[in-house]
Amino acid sequence: MKKTNLLFTICALLFSTLLNHASAQEAPNQEWNQFRGANRSGSTDNIELMSFTDKAPKLVWKKKLGDGFSELTISGGNIYTMISVRKDSITGDEFIAAFDEKTGNEVWKTRVDNMFFDTFGDGPRSTPAIGEKNVYSLSSYGKLSANSKKDGKTLWQVDFMKEYGSKIPRWGFSSSPVIVGNNVIVEVGGTDSRAFMAFDKKTGKEVWKKGEGIATYNSPVHGKINDKECIIFANGRKVYSLTTAGDTLWTYNSPISNPTGMPIVFDGNKIFISAVRNPGFIVLEVNNNKATEISRGTSMKNDYSSSIYHDGYVYGFHVAALQCISVKTGEKKWTKRGYGKGSLIRIGDQLLVLSDKGKLIQVKATPDAYTELGNIQAIDGKSWTAPSFANGKIYLRNLTEMACYELK
Amino acid sequence: MKRKKLQAFFLFALFLMPGILVAQTAEEIIAKHIEAHGGADKWEKVEALKIKGRFTAFSLEKDFTSYKTKCGAYYSDLYLGEQHVFEGFNGKCGWTIDPWQEIEYARNINSNETNVFKQKAEFFTPFLNYKKKGHKVEYIGKENVDGDEMFVLKLTREDGKSEKWYLNTKTYLEYKCEAPWVDFAQAVPAEMYFDDFRKVDEIIVPFFIERIFWQRDRITQIESVELNPKIDKSLFAMPKRKEISKLAFMEGDWDVKLEFMGRRGTYRDRGNTESCIKFASTNLLQEQISYENGFPNNLSINFTYDAGTKKYRIAAFNDFTSTFDMFQGELKDNILVMEDTQVSYSDKPSATRMCRQFIYTKVDNNQFTVENKISTDEGKTWKPQARLTYTRKSENTLSKK
Repeated sequence: MKKTNLLFTICALLFSTLLNHASAQEAPNQEWNQFRGANRSGSTDNIELMSFTDKAPKLVWKKKLGDGFSELTISGGNIYTMISVRKDSITGDEFIAAFDEKTGNEVWKTRVDNMFFDTFGDGPRSTPAIGEKNVYSLSSYGKLSANSKKDGKTLWQVDFMKEYGSKIPRWGFSSSPVIVGNNVIVEVGGTDSRAFMAFDKKTGKEVWKKGEGIATYNSPVHGKINDKECIIFANGRKVYSLTTAGDTLWTYNSPISNPTGMPIVFDGNKIFISAVRNPGFIVLEVNNNKATEISRGTSMKNDYSSSIYHDGYVYGFHVAALQCISVKTGEKKWTKRGYGKGSLIRIGDQLLVLSDKGKLIQVKATPDAYTELGNIQAIDGKSWTAPSFANGKIYLRNLTEMACYELK
Repeated sequence: MKRKKLQAFFLFALFLMPGILVAQTAEEIIAKHIEAHGGADKWEKVEALKIKGRFTAFSLEKDFTSYKTKCGAYYSDLYLGEQHVFEGFNGKCGWTIDPWQEIEYARNINSNETNVFKQKAEFFTPFLNYKKKGHKVEYIGKENVDGDEMFVLKLTREDGKSEKWYLNTKTYLEYKCEAPWVDFAQAVPAEMYFDDFRKVDEIIVPFFIERIFWQRDRITQIESVELNPKIDKSLFAMPKRKEISKLAFMEGDWDVKLEFMGRRGTYRDRGNTESCIKFASTNLLQEQISYENGFPNNLSINFTYDAGTKKYRIAAFNDFTSTFDMFQGELKDNILVMEDTQVSYSDKPSATRMCRQFIYTKVDNNQFTVENKISTDEGKTWKPQARLTYTRKSENTLSKK
């Protein structure tokens, strides 16, 4: 009897260890815990999706949601996002909210600010960052908040306009905060070298400040360049590379003005930056803390949608045309029109493209030709928010509702 | 001598040769392009088009209806995002009601917009009867666009503005066009893409048109094209403002009976005159009237509506006194009461000033009256002075005139 128990315990331990090992390996890919997902790249690797025509995406749920364009972040069984709820035609509230990943039902919501109204679409544009215990969000009127993941309780809040003289941009504060170590880093657009700031995750106290310029729509990238950890910001006509402690590694006077799409770090020391104005895009190469422009072109002009880098090619929305270009030469490999100003993410070797009217299209991430693997009308109406992917499911949001589809 | 002349002729011919070749090539391409659209004969029978479909702007897809005529008139009722927009063009000048510009009434379009409306008014391709329209076309060459070989033609309109058209070398149908466009009435360059060509009766038209300018994206997805529909031509005319339209009962040619107040407090007949009242603009009704009161008085009376104060205004010029007079008032139940109590031409208030009031009253569709009163107590009390009775001229009296 004792021997049987011992054998059972050993087996259970082994199984548990294997299971933990497997989930640890998959963990980075199974959550979408910040703007553009892991590494802010809009990509998830090591997943193979079946073609939509072989296995159609299955609707898990669809729910009404307060207005906004904030991405859906998924962590620990919950979806976290920002929404706004109208009281009347001119007043309303902005919230950070949590929803059950399985059902889409609201878990909690906490007011963070007044509602942002705009003729192009009401509500927040910024996406929250999910930490271990807390969620960090930036409201449309520039209030950075920390809320408990468990119950939404506000732990601290910093008012950028009041504290740092920041001015609200045309579309509201839209930068998405990033968690780096013990800090939350975000664009502030404040006075006295407070373009970007780091705040203590626990207290909200200022840790460092850097850079000049008003608040734009760019979010910081946290990554490695030449194996050195760094933060990349692109505001106005300047690109900054900072250490996680806020020290300047290098800056670059960029011909790209106010990019909204995320800069893409690739090949270990290169950065792709694009905006809708000419020249469209540039590629910087960084050596010995010095950035040099190695190419530029007009074949990719990202507006508010970020591009995807994959195996030497950039896939993205050239204004309103889905396009693939060679990052090396800028040569256009293919173009597909008709999806409006959509958005996209990459899952393995496939692109999941969401048209601006809610059609979800599965496309091969290959420069050879535009190859569609299937599509569904996943969600209706103005869909400007990029999809999120976690645990085999895709999460979509339009201006007023969200939906979850099982893909695997 | 003869030989020299011959040499000169050949040199001259050689000089002209490339031009001739280029012209021939452009002509040939355009001929095949029109053929690809169904052929000139088929298009010749098309006097007007009614186009219905879905139009997407700011990612919102809504219904639209457009009308186009052979003489270059165009009308469209569409949504730009959530805003309901109307556009009209008579071939030369046009108007728009575009709430995006925070103007809720029809306004005249500017020169950049006029060029765009000319493009919108085309029966899809501007190469149809392009010479008659005064367009000039130049063949630029061949170019690869998105993997396909294109003929590139430069089209220059009468206004000097040019467009670059890319026609597929296999189908001769248009694939792309680069042309000047407008965004909030400001000139911007645009790219247009054409797809989903379908046969409607015997003509071929693109059912999908995507236009990209600046960071804007507009998609026209046509659902139906009706050839030679009945069109109410008033569609193309600039609509009057809603408030000034309420004075339409005054529009027309009138016989006017004049009565002036006598000493006994009763109106005395002072003869007849004529008046012509017509809309001169979207918010302007103009009256021309003459009468004699001792001396000849020729009046030009302008009625407008001021959206700011939500009141009607009159600016009247009398060539006898050679002055402008201003009046302001409201319309209630077909009675327009205009007075100058709120109008002052002096810095200091005058105890002896005399105010005037004009009351326009609709009797029926063929008659209205105007009563003139004066006040010496800033409008507390009014004394009648004159009465004019307008009677609409009949067809007979008009033709006599």
